[in-house]
Order: sequence, then C-alpha cells, then structure tokens
Amino acid sequence: MMGTLHKVDKILLGCLLALAVIGMATLFAAVHSGDLSVWYKQGVYWLVGLAAFFFMCFIPLRFVGLMVWPIYGLALLALVLTPLIGDVHMGARRWLDLGFVNLQSSELMKWALLLVLAYWFSMREASTLKDVSVALLLMIVPAGLIVIQPDLGTTLVLLLAAMVVILVAGFPWKWFVGLLALSPFAGYVLWQNMHDYQRGRVLSFLNPESDPLGKGYHVIQSSIAIGSGGLFGKGYLQGSQSRLHFLPEQHTDFIFAVLAEEGGLLAVAVLFVLYAVLISRILMIALRAHTRFGGLISVGIATVFSLYIFVNIGMVSGMLPVVGVPLPFISYGGSALLSMLVALGLVMRISIESHGQVSWQRPGSPLV
Amino acid sequence: MWNQFELRQRYNLRVYLFFAAVVCMVLLLFGRMVQLQWIQYTQHFIQSEGNRIHVSPILPTRGMMTDRDGVGLAVNKVSYKITLIPERVENLGETLASVQELMHWDDKRITRLKKKIKQSRSDRQVLLKDQLPWKIVAPLAARLHHFSGVNVVAGTHREYPFAMQTAHMVGYLSLVRDVDVEKGYLRMEYVGRSGLERILESRLHGELGYKHEEVNARGRRVALIKTVRPKTGENITLSIDVGMQQVAAQALGERTGAVVVMDVRTGEVLTLLSMPGYDSNKFITGLDNVQWKSWLEDIEKPLLNRTTQAAYPPASTMKLVTSFGGLEQGIRLATGSTTCPGYVELADRKIRCWKKKGHGKVDIHDAIVHSCDVYFYELGDALGMSRLADTAREWGFGEKTGINLPPESRGNVPNKRHPSGRNWYRGETMITAIGQGSITVTPLQMARFTAAIANGGKILTPLLEKGEAVKVVRQLDVSPKQLNKVRQGMRDVVADRKGTAYWQLSRAHWTVAGKTGTAQVVKMSDDEKRTFSDAKHHQDHAWFMGYAPFDTPEIAVAVFVENGGHGGSAAGPVARAVVDYWADKMDERRKAIKDKKQVQEEL
Repeated sequence: MMGTLHKVDKILLGCLLALAVIGMATLFAAVHSGDLSVWYKQGVYWLVGLAAFFFMCFIPLRFVGLMVWPIYGLALLALVLTPLIGDVHMGARRWLDLGFVNLQSSELMKWALLLVLAYWFSMREASTLKDVSVALLLMIVPAGLIVIQPDLGTTLVLLLAAMVVILVAGFPWKWFVGLLALSPFAGYVLWQNMHDYQRGRVLSFLNPESDPLGKGYHVIQSSIAIGSGGLFGKGYLQGSQSRLHFLPEQHTDFIFAVLAEEGGLLAVAVLFVLYAVLISRILMIALRAHTRFGGLISVGIATVFSLYIFVNIGMVSGMLPVVGVPLPFISYGGSALLSMLVALGLVMRISIESHGQVSWQRPGSPLV
Repeated sequence: MWNQFELRQRYNLRVYLFFAAVVCMVLLLFGRMVQLQWIQYTQHFIQSEGNRIHVSPILPTRGMMTDRDGVGLAVNKVSYKITLIPERVENLGETLASVQELMHWDDKRITRLKKKIKQSRSDRQVLLKDQLPWKIVAPLAARLHHFSGVNVVAGTHREYPFAMQTAHMVGYLSLVRDVDVEKGYLRMEYVGRSGLERILESRLHGELGYKHEEVNARGRRVALIKTVRPKTGENITLSIDVGMQQVAAQALGERTGAVVVMDVRTGEVLTLLSMPGYDSNKFITGLDNVQWKSWLEDIEKPLLNRTTQAAYPPASTMKLVTSFGGLEQGIRLATGSTTCPGYVELADRKIRCWKKKGHGKVDIHDAIVHSCDVYFYELGDALGMSRLADTAREWGFGEKTGINLPPESRGNVPNKRHPSGRNWYRGETMITAIGQGSITVTPLQMARFTAAIANGGKILTPLLEKGEAVKVVRQLDVSPKQLNKVRQGMRDVVADRKGTAYWQLSRAHWTVAGKTGTAQVVKMSDDEKRTFSDAKHHQDHAWFMGYAPFDTPEIAVAVFVENGGHGGSAAGPVARAVVDYWADKMDERRKAIKDKKQVQEEL
C-alpha cells in the first residue's frame, strides 16, 4: 500500500490540495455573512471526496474496464427514469431520488459516456465508419435524453467532451471538417422539428439579454464584482458585491466572482496557474499512460475539467451565456465535487499504473 | 496491419493539439480578466460603490393653501401608497397576483400596471396605487416580507375641502406625465395642473430629500448611511375669505355666474367665485373619462373660470364709463341735461330706452340712478367711439388685469375703427355707450373698475396672496369733483327709492353705492322670453357692481348672473349677502378691538 501511495503524482496532489484550500477559503468568504452550514458541509464533502480519491488510487484499471458497460447501462436507465419519477426542480426534472441520495442522472451519464468511449476506442481507431457510428450512437442517445429534461448546458458539455475523446481517438480530420460543414443543415432540420417552447428556450439561451432582470442582471453584477476587484482585490472578506448579496448563486456557480472581487487579478492568476498545472499534468499522464484505455480516460477527464472552467468563468465574466456549470473544486456542491475527485482518483490510478512502465504499443486488449 | 508508431504519433499529436487549445482557453480567460480588472477597473469600482449605496428620493410634503384666516383650501391628508421596484421583484406575475388578491383589484388594473411597469425604469419605484387608508393597506403591509420589491409607504394626498366653490382658483394636481418626467419630476409625484396649484407649483412643491442606504440586491436595507430631509413646500395664505366665498355661492344658488370681491385699497381679492363649480378632488382620486366628458360637454361649462376667462357685455354698468368719458372730455351734456321721450331718433330708426314712457328731463345723476338709456345714447354719440373706447381702456377694460391666475381673457373694447376698416356707425357707438354691442368685460375687470371708482382712480393689480405688495397699474387723472358726481349717482342707485337696486341693497349693513346692468342676450319682448321653449338661455344676463361703505370704501363687489334676468333683482341680493357678511365680520372685529382697549384702559 505504501508503495502505491509512494507512486502518487506529487504535483497533481499538491495542486489538488491547494485548490481545496482556496476553494474552502472562497466559500467561507461567500457565505460567512449568512448560513455557515454550507461551509461545514463542503468540508465534509472534501473529506469524503479525498477518501474516495485515495480509494480510487487502489482500484485497478482492469477492474474499471470490466465495469464500463454496467455503469453505462445504469446511467442510461437513470436517464430514462428521471422524466418519469424525478423531482421537479427549477422547472426541470433532473434529479433522481434514490432514497439515500439525490442523483443527477446527467452528471452520472457524463462520466459513464467518457468511460465507455475510452473503452470502445481503446481497441480500435476511430477511423472506420462502423466504429465511429457505434460511438456516435452511444453519445447521441443519452444526449437526446438530457436535452428533453431539458438541460441544454449539460448536453453541450457532454457532446463536446465526447467529441474531443473521439477526435483524440483518431477521428479523421476530413470527416470532422465534413461534419462541421454539415452542422448548419442539421441544426436547421432540428430547429424545424422543435416545439415552440423549445425554440424559446434555445433563443433565451443564446440571448440572455432578452431577460435583463434575470440572468442578464446576474452577469452584469458579477462583471462588476470581478472588475471592482482590481489588481490586488478588495481584501479577504471585504467584497461589497458579495457581502451585500448582489451576486446571485455566489456560493455555487458564481463563486469565481467572489474570489476575483476579494483577491483581484493576483488571486485569479494563482487560480489559473493551478488549473493550468492540473490540466497539463492530467494530459501528461495521458501521454505516459501504458494503456490506450487509460490515456483516453485521462484526455476525457481533462476535457471535462477544461470545459467546466472555461464555461463557468466565461459565463461569470460575461463572455458566454449563463449555463449552470460548477467551477471545479471551488463551487459548493457535494455530488459535483465527489464525482470530480473520483475522476481525479482514476487519473491518479492511471498514473500509478504507468509508473515505470513502457507506454502502450498497440491497441489490443484494452486492459493491459 | 497496425502501424504502431504511426498510431502512437497520431494520438500524441492530438493530445498536444488539445493541450494547445487549453492554453489558448486559459489565455483568453486571463485576457478577459485583465480587461475587467485592470483596464475597466475604475468604471467597475464606481459601479460597485453605486450598487452598495442606493439613493432613494423622499418626496417633500406639498405646501398648503389657506384662506386669509388660515382655513385650509388645499390641504394634505395622510394616506398610504403601494410601490414596486421592478428589478427587486423575483417573480412579477406571482407578486402582482398576490397583491391583487390582497387588495381585491380587478384584472384590468393588473394589466394596466403590468404595462406601466414595463415602461418604467427597473431600478425606480413604480406607483401601483395611492391614497389608500390604513385599513385597506394593512393586510398587505403585514405580509410585505413575502413580496420583495413591494413597499407600502406612508405619505399624503391632496384634498380640497371647498372644491365646489374654489376649484377654478385653487386648481388641482394630477399624476406626472412624460413631459414632467423630462423636467425632472419623479414617476410617482403629483404636479399642479391648473389654477394656483399650477402657477405656484415651484413654491408649493418643496425640495426632494434623499435617503442613502446600503442595500443588497434583493432590495433589503442593510444599513442607513445618511438622510437628507426633504424641504416642505411653502404654505401660502391667500387673500380669499372662504366664508365670503361660501356666502356668495349660497346666494347664487343653482344659478350660473361669477362673484368677485376686491379690497379697494390693496387690490387683494376676497372672493373669486365661478359657478357652477366642480369637484376637483376627483382629479386626485383618479378621474374617469365619463366624468371628464360630462364636465366638458355640460352646457353650463363648469370647468370655465367665469371670473377671469369669460367676458360678457357690461350692459348698463358701462354707463359709468360713458359718464367718466363725458366728464373728462368736458362734453356739455355731461354737466347739463336732456329730455328722454323713451327713444332716440337716428335716421329713420328709433333706438329705444328701456322705459317706454321715457324719463323726462334727466341730468347725469338721474341718468345713473334710473339707468336712462337715452341720456347715454346722446352722451356716447357726443363722445364718439374713439374717445369712449379710450376711456374704457383707461379704466382697465380690454386688458388683462394681471392677476396671477392665467389664462385670462382681455375682454373686448372696440378699436377706433370697425374691424372692416370703416368708421363706426353712430348707432353702434350709442349702443356701446350703454354696454351692448361689441364691448365685453370679465367680472374681475368689473370689480377692478369698481375699486378704482372707490379708491380715487387707482387701477390695481388684483392680488391673490394676503399681504402681497400693492401694485398700482396706473393712477387715473380724474378730479374728485367728477368722481363724486358718479359716486353720488351710484349711491342713489341704492339709496333713492327709484334707484334700480333700492329694494335689494338699501338696507345692507354697510352703505352701498353701485350700478345694475341687464345685458340683452336676444332681442325679444319680455312676453316672448317667458313663452320661449329654451327660456333659460335667452334670459338677460344680470350685473351688479358696487362698493361699500360709501364714505370710506373698503370693498368692491362685482356680481354677474348668467341668464339671471334683471340686474337689480338677480344680482343685487348676491351683492347684499356678500356686503353684509363682510360688514358684520369687520364690525365685530372692530368691536372686539375696542372692547379690548376698554378693558386695558380700565385696568
């Protein structure tokens, strides 16, 4: 056991712990004037999540490979069940009450899809029509189920992450360019077949300014919060925007604004460096992985992290439309934190297994 | 079959490409941060400070208007209003629905309010309803914490206790319009729309106060930083005596007309009554179209201020102007006499005196007392239209009195020539000399003219505020001898048993001097008038103008009764009521002062 822990990637672990400290400190700043129970809960989530992280370090990748299809099947079942028996929250059915835990089925599907795609392409190149078609089917069925929940944001993140995995798995550029050229047409056909209310949703997603008192207002307020932080910030616990609750969802999706207001560009730079190191470290593990399966999983996880960071900060700073996406390791939220720590644990396991091994040579059995 | 090396290369290349994409992404985000936090820092910092400190206006209390004894004419009553700040409301539809349920509003109002909210700035208060008594707002006020963005604010609303008698003068307020907002009014303010409320707006309004509060985005107050108290508007004491105004209204009763009473020494207006009146309180509580239309279309024109905006033929009261003209110009007839056979022959026509049998031999005194037409036909004829018109202008007709209550009518005094350019016919001049024809005057001009006779030829600007500095427009060059000639005639109109107003005014509490007037509306015999179907509107207009007391004049009265009939019998009693009221009041006051002095002396 000590041997395994000895092989842990110290830089990745250091990054993670630094993010944990920054995350907890920022969350405290966001909630200290109100309900502190949120902060205590997040502390517990971190402890549980880190335990899960280290637990994952001991799960052989071979075993994960065996679980890929059952996990995907389970996630698909949950997605089908959610519209039928799920809880309605904020006008959309996204949560499945399993009695002991509320499961966001789309969250589970995201990871399940990455695993199943990595597994599928660990034995083959994404260069034959048949192989790619299977992958696209695996991707489109859950995407369709999530989009009718309706959760366009998660659907887009899911599709983008899956596309990156398929591309890295060797999807021919020619086809990619062809698909890009075809997409406006596909979009048109889709648009024609949508219900009016769905079109309305798409429109308000594309143009939040049409609802200036709603999401547009939030973005304006968060931009002001970030901008007023300046180079060095207003000081820890001194952010007026967050203290006075001008920020919406300031402990979840908009927490970046709290950090930027109180810590300024300096804190933002530190956070960006940590994220950059984290992602490049995961990609390095993807390059060193001794199985193609492990490599593709790492790429998929790096993609999800990157998308989360990009979409969240882009949204909070007013570059992108508002989509409910958490900021990895900083936003409050148990299931998101837990799933990301499990995913990172998986990457760590891949790193451990690759330690001192020669990189994979050929796609054969995915598990060796 | 598999080219291992090539495969690995391709995979690596794509991971590197992905890495490059991630680097680009981080740089893009960092660039955005630099833009927000470095380049636009100042702007965002100022915005964040503005966010924290919410400055909200506090409406000032509008100044009151009272009569000369402090009786309220335009007062403020405590009431409550419901306001809403759109950006603070979480769900507008739900919130309005709940408020609707609590307040029992109908759907039409909600639709209208939604439209109003849509048009308003999202960070400013929108008025949902005002002038609510506590009983009605209480259920909402108790549940306010459920409705973020909605507020119940204590305030005042305007009330006019004597609306029916004073509406034309006091005027009314109404909710701001877009033009007012451009001038800097707030969306929920009331603005003076007519009468003194409009004219004295800047003094009555007061100054806005401000509340600087630290608030959060939900509109909840976190802390009060500072308050700038609003400045209450000026309380204005009018020269009006509302008791007298009421007495005048009572005396007029259901009849249409106007009563003006002026202090002959200062020009202060004691009564400015136009009847019928209208309930100006309805403008405050929200006037419906039906009511507005009915006022507009009412044949008696209740919205018209007859004291200043309507001009009528002065009828026989004009004879005083003709008298002054004759005396000043040294016309022989003015100091001599003529014989009235009941008519004047002009070419092949006979112009009749009101008394068919004629007055016999009359001089200026008798002509005024008996209101002999023939005497003034001849005097006017001798004067000519030009000099007659000049005299009328001298005495303040044909010009605005300058009362601070625009718009005001000038009335009409004929020019030197007929509008078509020809000379006036003699008949026209003669008719004008007895106040018919094209000359018209407003009741206020008439009161001012009366005051000028009483005060020795001072044309005063009528004043509406008590204690205002006296404004003399001009002092006429009229000798005491000439004045006394006319005054004596006016005195005997009342004092002589054969005077036209003897029966109505001889026993007034003060000695009155005056002149009646009966303006023909249509040429008809009295019998015809009685049997005509629309009898009322073909009746003659009745005038009485006069001053009291005769020896030491204090007040000038002008009474006009539209289609009232004969001047003495229709307008006379109204003047009597007004004079008696004032005489009693003044005598009582003098007695009280005397008693006090006596008590002091005895001590």
